[in-house]
Amino acid sequence: MKNIKIIQIILVSIMLVCSLVINVVNAERIAITNATIHTLTSDGVLTQATIVIDNGKIVAINPKEIKADNTIDAQGQILTPGFIASMNSLGLIEVGAVARTRDSSDKKADITFDASLAFNPKSSLIAYTRKGGITSSVVAPKGGEGLFAGQTFVVNLSGEFDSIIIKQNAVLIYLGAKVKGSRALSLQSLDNKLADAQIKLDKARKSKKKSKKDNKDEKEPERDELVINALLSGDKTLLAYADRATDILALLALKKKYGLDLVLVGASDAVLVSTQIVAQNVPVIVSSIDNLPNSFDSLHGSLANIAILVKAGVKVLLTSNGESHNLNQLRYDAGVAVANGLSKTDAMAMLTANVADVFKLNSGRIAVGKDADIVLWNADPFELSSRVVTMWINGKEVSTQSRQDKLRERYTTKSNMPRAYIK
Amino acid sequence: MQKKSFQLCLLIASISLSLTACVPSEKQDPKLSINKNPYPSTYKALPQQSTLFTNATVLTGTGERINNADVLFVDGKVKEVGTHLAMEGVFVIDATGKWITPGIIDVHSHLGVYPSPKVESHSDGNEMTSPNTSEVWAEHSVWPQDPGFQTARAGGITTLQILPGSANLFGGRGVTLRNVPSQTMQGMKFIDAPYGLKMACGENPKRVYGSRKLLPSTRMGNVAGYRSAWLAATEYKRAWNKYDSDYAAGKNPKAPSRDLELDTLMGVLDGEIRIHNHCYKAEEMAVMIDVGKEFNYNSGTFHHGIEAYKIADLLAENGNCVAMWPDWWGFKMEAFDMVEENVAIVDAVKNSCAIVHSDSETTIQRLNQEAGKVLYRANDNGFELKEEDAIKWITLNAAKSLGLSDKIGSLEIGKNGDLVLWNSNPFSVYAQAEQVFVDGAKVYDRFDENYQAKSDFLLGQE
Repeated sequence: MKNIKIIQIILVSIMLVCSLVINVVNAERIAITNATIHTLTSDGVLTQATIVIDNGKIVAINPKEIKADNTIDAQGQILTPGFIASMNSLGLIEVGAVARTRDSSDKKADITFDASLAFNPKSSLIAYTRKGGITSSVVAPKGGEGLFAGQTFVVNLSGEFDSIIIKQNAVLIYLGAKVKGSRALSLQSLDNKLADAQIKLDKARKSKKKSKKDNKDEKEPERDELVINALLSGDKTLLAYADRATDILALLALKKKYGLDLVLVGASDAVLVSTQIVAQNVPVIVSSIDNLPNSFDSLHGSLANIAILVKAGVKVLLTSNGESHNLNQLRYDAGVAVANGLSKTDAMAMLTANVADVFKLNSGRIAVGKDADIVLWNADPFELSSRVVTMWINGKEVSTQSRQDKLRERYTTKSNMPRAYIK
Repeated sequence: MQKKSFQLCLLIASISLSLTACVPSEKQDPKLSINKNPYPSTYKALPQQSTLFTNATVLTGTGERINNADVLFVDGKVKEVGTHLAMEGVFVIDATGKWITPGIIDVHSHLGVYPSPKVESHSDGNEMTSPNTSEVWAEHSVWPQDPGFQTARAGGITTLQILPGSANLFGGRGVTLRNVPSQTMQGMKFIDAPYGLKMACGENPKRVYGSRKLLPSTRMGNVAGYRSAWLAATEYKRAWNKYDSDYAAGKNPKAPSRDLELDTLMGVLDGEIRIHNHCYKAEEMAVMIDVGKEFNYNSGTFHHGIEAYKIADLLAENGNCVAMWPDWWGFKMEAFDMVEENVAIVDAVKNSCAIVHSDSETTIQRLNQEAGKVLYRANDNGFELKEEDAIKWITLNAAKSLGLSDKIGSLEIGKNGDLVLWNSNPFSVYAQAEQVFVDGAKVYDRFDENYQAKSDFLLGQE
């Protein structure tokens, strides 16, 4: 018995030492020199520049003197902020058609639905997604039968158990064409819910003023009411999927009426109402490759739409089209937008600074104090021919090797034994 | 002489009932035969012009790259490819700094049968009412006004095979189309292209029918379903062969009853219809190769072969083409073992036939980039592939799969004048098709609205 205790103590102390060692590694101060840095700030692109990262943050850019445990010569290669994906099911779905690997939706999911509880940082999608230079993602559940689909959350792609950055940061709603029923009712219900909550809040405020002592009859607000209240106060963002111009305009009207922090998603018709969108300073999250008329809600698709929106002054965030397994295509999608009229600088912002701004993340730019989520590329990050050389999440180098590499190695290695012996 | 007159008699007998047969004495009814082309193509090339493209980087599709090269089209055909070409009276396009490839071919598309907009009324790609629907023909579902044809053309697609969906073991016949605007399917139909038969392995058939408590509900049920069908087709073929030989022998046999389902399967056994088999997994492709051997037909092209890299040797040995995505994965269990170098690994084996396909109205617009992804990922990992290799995956190998490599897929003398003029290396993310030619006729021009077709559906929409 005693022996076991002693062994336990020894084990624990070994573990402690190990974790200290890991912490030391984490805390390694790294300088990357001679890089072409896309800062996404007013500094623009810095050439032959140096960046120092320490303790998970960017601590210096072009310091007079380089103090670091490890200095990496970038040899002029491109350094960008890590790309930030959004509106996907990363870590919630392993295999699309395998029901028991899907945690993105639930019949009963409502406005309080917190899918981050199901997020799996060990999902095989995470490492594969890193190949695309993606260091974090806004994950969106698919919801259930109700009006609201639940709330989004933000993760980094370290693959570690502590990779959730923000929980429940925005409320999701899917509007527009319906298989059954009318789109009108969804808009009406949203308006009514906001109106009812507003009335309740106003009443509560009045009764509080009248009798500060005696407010025992007042019920505490329900959980879903608290979320609606957070929308009304602007503490939570409303992420609304809508394509047709009329739906977009209806949402803009609700924003005005209730002071919502509104972000449009999909927004196929945004080009028709870009003036109104800009006037209310509403960001849009769109795909660059969705140019076909998928429905009567999206008759104005074009590969040139993003360039048109950006020119009109709309803040654009780039999302992949639906699925999560091929998220690393985002950089190519940005390239397609560039091929169709967008500037490379604006394209880079769609994957970095703009996403960080909308979701209030401390990443997406290379500036002192920002999270050290950064990627070193061997060439133009939007090109098919380029690849990630090294990437860091929270200042820690992460691998871009995935299960796919293991499979390739197994089947391209010469051996007299069955492939199963090659690991 | 005697033989000739006998044949003449047969001919007369088959024309006219009133005439009596010659040798032997039995009276013969008119010879019945199956019309193999009841919905013939009415395709005509758009206005052609003899054209000389000068000073381009040319990827011929045969694995060759020629710098500063010229391509000459005369009468809708490739007349010459080389340097310093000249001809009087031809239209000259200065292609300096630009790239030329053969017209891009997609062997797996559902344009027209699953068109945009995605309304139920136009969802005509999957006859999900029986596991064997060899009797349906995708061409009877094609909506030529699908706006996806236009956007695919802007991406350089000149020929595409429209396949039925993959819910059934036998999904029906596919059709190969020229990507030109037309009010009718026949107006797009590739003249004399062999038909394809869509088959499907794996999860889809067993899910669709298993959930209805019908065979197949397992993969072994799938294979039993193929085998039963091929058995029936073998019998059908034997009956028709017997009818033909008896008739030729001067007898008056009763013709077998026509069966649309078996007509198609017999077409495969006769080598006239080519198999296009949706099949992801290594072990299933290996079984399908053996099913083909068991019933004496060619197991054809495997589509979506996510695991083809695991059996690349076997596939090449058996002469199978494999049509693949560069990187789609994870939507189903059978699509879990994707590697980005799949196409390159299959391609590396001698006598292989690796193809990049789209199966998507979105990526068909950039099939060049889909191939490009494979090219660069493979080279990141030890391969030494070049542009002239990668172009084959979306041109000549695709033409082989469709049985059209004598007509399209490469810029070789005498072949159809299909090409794409690119503003840059087609394997760049920024590459754009500037002009597209089908049979020597310009069908798309990025800078000239007169050559940008628009679907009826989108016309006048506000």
